[in-house]
Amino acid sequence: MSVVDPLAGLVDRVVRFPVDALEYTNLLLTTDDAVVGATPREVVWTHRQTTLYRYRSSNRRYAVPLLLVFALINRPEIFDLRPGSSLVEYLIDEGFDVFLVDWGYPDEEDADMGLDEYVCDELEWAVRETLRASGAEELSLMGWCIGATLCAMYCGLDRGGERPPVKNLVLLTMPIDGRGGTYANWVGNEDFDVDGVSELWGSVPGGAIDFANKMMKPVTNYWTTYRRLWEGVREGTARREAYQSMAKWVADNPPFAGKAWRQWIRLMYRDAALLRGRVRLRDRSVDLARIDQNVLVITAGADHIAPRPGTMPFFDLISSEDVEHFDRPGGHIGLVAGSAARKELWPGIAQWLAERSES
Amino acid sequence: MADRQNGAQSPEEQVRALYEEAESGTAKAFEALVNKPSFGRLLALSAENTAALTRMSFDAVDLLWRNLRLAGRADIVRLSKQLHRTEDKLERVLQEVEKLRDEVARERDAAGSRS
Repeated sequence: MSVVDPLAGLVDRVVRFPVDALEYTNLLLTTDDAVVGATPREVVWTHRQTTLYRYRSSNRRYAVPLLLVFALINRPEIFDLRPGSSLVEYLIDEGFDVFLVDWGYPDEEDADMGLDEYVCDELEWAVRETLRASGAEELSLMGWCIGATLCAMYCGLDRGGERPPVKNLVLLTMPIDGRGGTYANWVGNEDFDVDGVSELWGSVPGGAIDFANKMMKPVTNYWTTYRRLWEGVREGTARREAYQSMAKWVADNPPFAGKAWRQWIRLMYRDAALLRGRVRLRDRSVDLARIDQNVLVITAGADHIAPRPGTMPFFDLISSEDVEHFDRPGGHIGLVAGSAARKELWPGIAQWLAERSES
Repeated sequence: MADRQNGAQSPEEQVRALYEEAESGTAKAFEALVNKPSFGRLLALSAENTAALTRMSFDAVDLLWRNLRLAGRADIVRLSKQLHRTEDKLERVLQEVEKLRDEVARERDAAGSRS
C-alpha cells in the first residue's frame, strides 16, 4: 500500500475541516428553522390546553374517520414530521379523514390534570367532536406510546354497558406493564417521593422528562448522534431535513401535568394496575377485557422506552376477535417515524385500516 | 493497494472499526450503569432536590414581586386556574346545548317524516 493515499486523505480532511465545521455548526444552529408539522389542518375544537385538528383528505375514500393520539410527553407533530416523511400526509393521500389530538403545553395551572381528566374528559370529548365534525357514528383510534395506553384505557372504561364509538384500535409501541424496564429502576421504588416532586414542580418540566429519556442511552444520545452527524457532514451524506426535523421534534418537550405524571408512574412502574384491572378513573373501573374492537398492536424489537415484553400481556386481557400484531425491528419512535416506515409499516397500517373502515 | 483488492481494511478503516467497537462497548457499559438501582436512587434524589430548589427560587421571586405589589407566578397560576374552571363549565354547557339541539333536530325530522 502506498503511503500517499492516507496522507492525501489526511490533507484533504484538514483542508476541508473549516468548510465541514461550518456546515456542521450551521446544521445544529438552524435546527429550529426546520419545518415540522406542515400538512394543512384546521382547528375543530379546543379545551384548556387540548386542541383537536382535522386534516382533510381531497380524495376521501373511507367513511370511518381516524383519530390520532400521541403521548403526554413530546409533541404530536411526530405524526406529521416533515413533507414527504409524514404519516398524516400518507394517510390523507390514502383517503382517510384524519384528526389529531394535541395535548398542548400544560403549565403549573394544569397540575390538576390527571389520567382521569385526559381519558374521561379530553379524549372523550375529542372523540365526540371528531364524530360531530365527520358525521360518522364510529371512528378508528390510533395511539402512540402513552397515547396508545390512553386509548386502551378509554376503550376499557366502564360506561354502564354502553360501548365506546370506536370501531378500530391501532396501538403503536404501547406500554402496559413497565416494571421490567430502566424507568422502573428509577421511579418504581417507593423511596422516590413521586407525590412530593409533583407537588413541588406542579407540572414536571419537559426538560427533566427529556433528560431522563436520554439518560437511558446516554452515550448514544449525547455523543453518538452528534459524532454520526459529523461523519455524515464530512462524507457529504448528512440529510439536513431529516436530521433537523427529528432534532427539532426531540427538543420540543412540553411539561407532564403533575397529577397525570404521578398516576402514570404508579400504574405503570409500581402497580401494573392496568394488568390487574385495578385502575379507576373518576370512580369508574378500567378493564381491558372490555376492549372488543378490531385491534392492531405494533411493537418494536429495539424499543427501550416501551419494551415489547411490557406490551405482550395486553393480548391475554382483551376480548377482541379481530386482533393483529405487527412486530418490527426498530426503536420506539424510529419504528413509525423512520425512513423505512414509509415503505413497509405505513402501507401495512393503511391496509389494515382500509379493510375495516368501509362503513 | 493489493491489500484492499484482497478485501483487507486500510489503516484508516481499521482505526475507525476499533473506535466504533470502543464506543459501542462504552455505550453498553453506560446503559448497564444507568440501569442499576443505585443510579436510579441518585437520579431520584437529584430530581427531588432540583424540584425543591426550583420551588424555593420561585417562592423567593414571588415574595419579592408581592412586596413590590406586582403579580407573581402564584397569582398568575391562580388566575389561570379560575379561567380553566370557567372553561370547564362552558364546555359542559356547550355540550348540553349541542345535545339539546341534536334532540330537537331529530324530533323535527321525525315529525316531518310523519307528516
